Amino acid sequence: MAFYSILYPTREKAEAPAESQAECFKDLNLGQVFDYIFKARVEYSLETYYFVPLQDAESVYYRQAVLRELENPQHAAVVAGFSSLVYMQGSILQSVHDSFDSAETWRNNYLTRGQLLDSAERYCAAIDHFANSIMPIEFESEGLRAFKGYVDDYRRGAEFKELLAHAKRIRDKLSEVQYVMHIKEGKIRVKKYDGEREFSESITGLFDKFRQGETNDYASVMPDVPDAPQVEAQVLDMVASYYKEAFNELDTFCRKYYNFIDETLLRFSREIQFYLGWNELIAPLREQGLPFCYPKVAQGKDKIFVSEGYDLALAYKRHGEGIVTNDFELNYPERLIMLTGPNQGGKTTFTRAFGQTHYVAALGLSVPGRDAALFLFDRILSHFGSEEDLNTQSGQLQSDLYRLKAIYARATDRSLILINEIFSSTTLADALPLGRHMMEAIRKIGGPSVVVTFLDELYDESPQVVSMMSLVNPEEPGARSFKIVRKPPDGMAFALYIAARHGLTYDQLQVRFGK
Amino acid sequence: MNVNLMFRDRDFKLGVVTLFGKEILSADLELPRIIDTMAGRDDVIKKACETALFTPLTDMAELQYRQAIIADARRNPEAIRALYGIVVDTLSHQTHEFRAFASDAMGKSAAVSMYRSALAFLNSFIGSLMALRQVADKNLNGFESEGMRNLLTMFQREMDDKYFKQVRVSLTELDDAEGETLISAKLGHYLQGVDYVMRKLERGDKRSWRLTSGYEIPEKQIHLLDDLRNRTNRAINGVSNTLSQAAKNLQGFFTSLREELAFYIGCLNIEDALRELGMPMCVPKMNPMDSKKREWRDQYDVSLALTRRTKVVPGVFSDPGAKLYLITGANQGGKTTFLRGIGQAQLMAQCGMVVGAESCEMPLRRGLFTHFRREEDSRMKSGKLDEELTRLARALDFVGPGTTVMFNESFASTNEREGSEILRQITDAFVENGVEVFSVTHLFAYADVYKDDPETRFLRAERLPSGERTFKIVPGEPLRTAFGEDLYNKIFAEKA
Repeated sequence: MAFYSILYPTREKAEAPAESQAECFKDLNLGQVFDYIFKARVEYSLETYYFVPLQDAESVYYRQAVLRELENPQHAAVVAGFSSLVYMQGSILQSVHDSFDSAETWRNNYLTRGQLLDSAERYCAAIDHFANSIMPIEFESEGLRAFKGYVDDYRRGAEFKELLAHAKRIRDKLSEVQYVMHIKEGKIRVKKYDGEREFSESITGLFDKFRQGETNDYASVMPDVPDAPQVEAQVLDMVASYYKEAFNELDTFCRKYYNFIDETLLRFSREIQFYLGWNELIAPLREQGLPFCYPKVAQGKDKIFVSEGYDLALAYKRHGEGIVTNDFELNYPERLIMLTGPNQGGKTTFTRAFGQTHYVAALGLSVPGRDAALFLFDRILSHFGSEEDLNTQSGQLQSDLYRLKAIYARATDRSLILINEIFSSTTLADALPLGRHMMEAIRKIGGPSVVVTFLDELYDESPQVVSMMSLVNPEEPGARSFKIVRKPPDGMAFALYIAARHGLTYDQLQVRFGK
Repeated sequence: MNVNLMFRDRDFKLGVVTLFGKEILSADLELPRIIDTMAGRDDVIKKACETALFTPLTDMAELQYRQAIIADARRNPEAIRALYGIVVDTLSHQTHEFRAFASDAMGKSAAVSMYRSALAFLNSFIGSLMALRQVADKNLNGFESEGMRNLLTMFQREMDDKYFKQVRVSLTELDDAEGETLISAKLGHYLQGVDYVMRKLERGDKRSWRLTSGYEIPEKQIHLLDDLRNRTNRAINGVSNTLSQAAKNLQGFFTSLREELAFYIGCLNIEDALRELGMPMCVPKMNPMDSKKREWRDQYDVSLALTRRTKVVPGVFSDPGAKLYLITGANQGGKTTFLRGIGQAQLMAQCGMVVGAESCEMPLRRGLFTHFRREEDSRMKSGKLDEELTRLARALDFVGPGTTVMFNESFASTNEREGSEILRQITDAFVENGVEVFSVTHLFAYADVYKDDPETRFLRAERLPSGERTFKIVPGEPLRTAFGEDLYNKIFAEKA
């Protein structure tokens, strides 16, 4: 089968209509995570890939195989070098075309033609270098194996070989050109260079002895770029009159290779950044010892679980330090996690991680955790209330209820529902019955869900519901453990030992001083 | 040419300090007054003295190197001040020129104007270099320290008459490179001109150029003249760069010289000030870091002396080896002042300065951390305790063997039982790990724990039987009452 895309196993899947799922990013803090990738690779517009989770296991496994292979730093470096070079030639070629087609005739000049030649040379070099680098590699993933075959065929083709030879011939002639410019009173004249003497530099070295540490290089502020392209174009026209043959041949080349880039290679160069961006993002976290894994796709009555999962956005923000991992599992018919426990105990973080991990898994990427099996959802529906919200209470309650209604209306048994601390601004008398209705409704919808609540009473021991709690370390009640475990709600109170939280007890200090 | 007045083998980097918590130390020990006295109105002296004070030397040889230079400065104040004067004058004259130079470097037509200002800049520095050498010629014999002698002989060696002659010749040769220019170029990767080199335009060639046709910037597009100017800039860039680096090197040298001399001017200034007040000062005897011996006679709070012109409170202390100093006693009895005196002496001694005492002996310290009660904080009790703990926790990375920690009424914000327990745990852990602790406290339960500890010294703000305070800190175990009533009585007596 012919290679088409590195993101989808078939052309049909690549071209199927897709819907952006970015609405859940805000509650899940996924925007923060992906933004790093988008900004670092802004020219590739990777949003379109990250906004569309996959809906079928085959595509997920296709991507996982490619990503896993790119974890090898040598492979990744080779592919990244190729991708950025080819993609850049794509943008350059686009701007060259714009210049050729422009109404302003001066833009169609020797500089533009020079750019086309330069771009073609870089393109050839990139392909040649890449093909040589990947030939010895035995790729295991279907995607990269097919792509390797494609590249090999391409570079052995006659068209590519001719392009390469032609560009070299012209460059050799142009590199012999040397000229002098004479500038006086707004006029610039050009001749062939004829051995004129260099301007004096007698001062060099006389003051070096006074140097304190590093000296700036004041020359670096002058790039080798013409100030006004139209003047440079005029200069080149004059130069061309002294070197007619070389410049004529350049014209022929530009007509023949107006469009020299291969579409499939160009597509690959953009798509592959999807993987490179991800691996680069998670590399520092991995180095900190945070686990990532390739999840199985949980289908039918398969167990849904993550072991040693965590909130990716938080881990990223903290540079991977001080991150507590948590496990969960949903054994059929369990579908709804009810989460209670002390405030600031990591409940919101757990809920975010639950949603994030599912989302990332559905992109075909590696997910936070030691091992996992995750569910391919149709959408993620979330409502994260906020305790700090000081709206009038009735207004807040009303908007919560509208929000819930909208969620019920869109949810299917393949939807993830994440509800975090709603009804918290309501009286207990209101919150209890409303909470029970909500639990009932979500249980009936039947997709994997998490409900965070301060209402222990909502736990009803039905087979679909699992109770989990955030914990306080019993030996150190002041230090929040951020551990979330499977157990019935117990409403445990905890005291704060402030000194321990600052690491200032005798025992803690002894450990710190290494005794 | 390295100045090496602050360190034998290293540059002195203004503002780079090794002590943690510069602001805290500065406030708790009231150092600004000391630093201001050293600096007068000179900001560089201020920064240099701050840097030195907050970077205690822990190597005996480095300390002696610096003490020797201070002694030299004390013997030859005029020569040191003359050197500093030349440097300051030169730099302030150059400030204007240099600003123009630096801002040009940002601009687009950089190279040509950089070329010109750098040339002017270099010409004007030559005079100052000569003045420095003359000071060296005249005063070398009066100096004994290794650091000063190296510096002055270096002036003589590197800036001899031959050198000055050579420089003048070179600067004259660099004639004007404007008006009519000739530049050679090659084709770059997309055919743009690269490798610009300025070429000498021979007289004989001018005519032939005039006869060559060319491209003239149209009158309606005079902005394109910038392009032509820029070509000259690019070509002159190499030469201009060399000149600018030369100017920058000289400027850097004068700046280093100023920064390293500044500290010694500061030392001269504060010694003058204390002498005028009739306060005693001494070069302290420093013991190795593992020693615990401390001794002093008539030690005082230098900052307070400078502010209020106080008299010395006579006092003698000598102890071969305590790990913990517990200071208790009446409010406003001089406990904080006592802590400040010890802390100031430690920092001043370890940058090579004299200290405020008749005589004084102390161990070298790797670090000094103060944890003083914050009077101004009026938050709720729990928030305050949290703040105190946070402040201490932040310093933990910098506390360890060979460091000194000073507590001043720490954890008084909570009740006595809790405060005592927290502070006891911390104190024990510190002391057991080689940290020297000074602790001013009203927490009786805490102080009482150490009653029979052989390595703890109890000191007390003295109070005469009449109730009067002497501001002396004398050996003595804590008494249960804290004399708050005294203060109350005194204040209310005043009103009556």
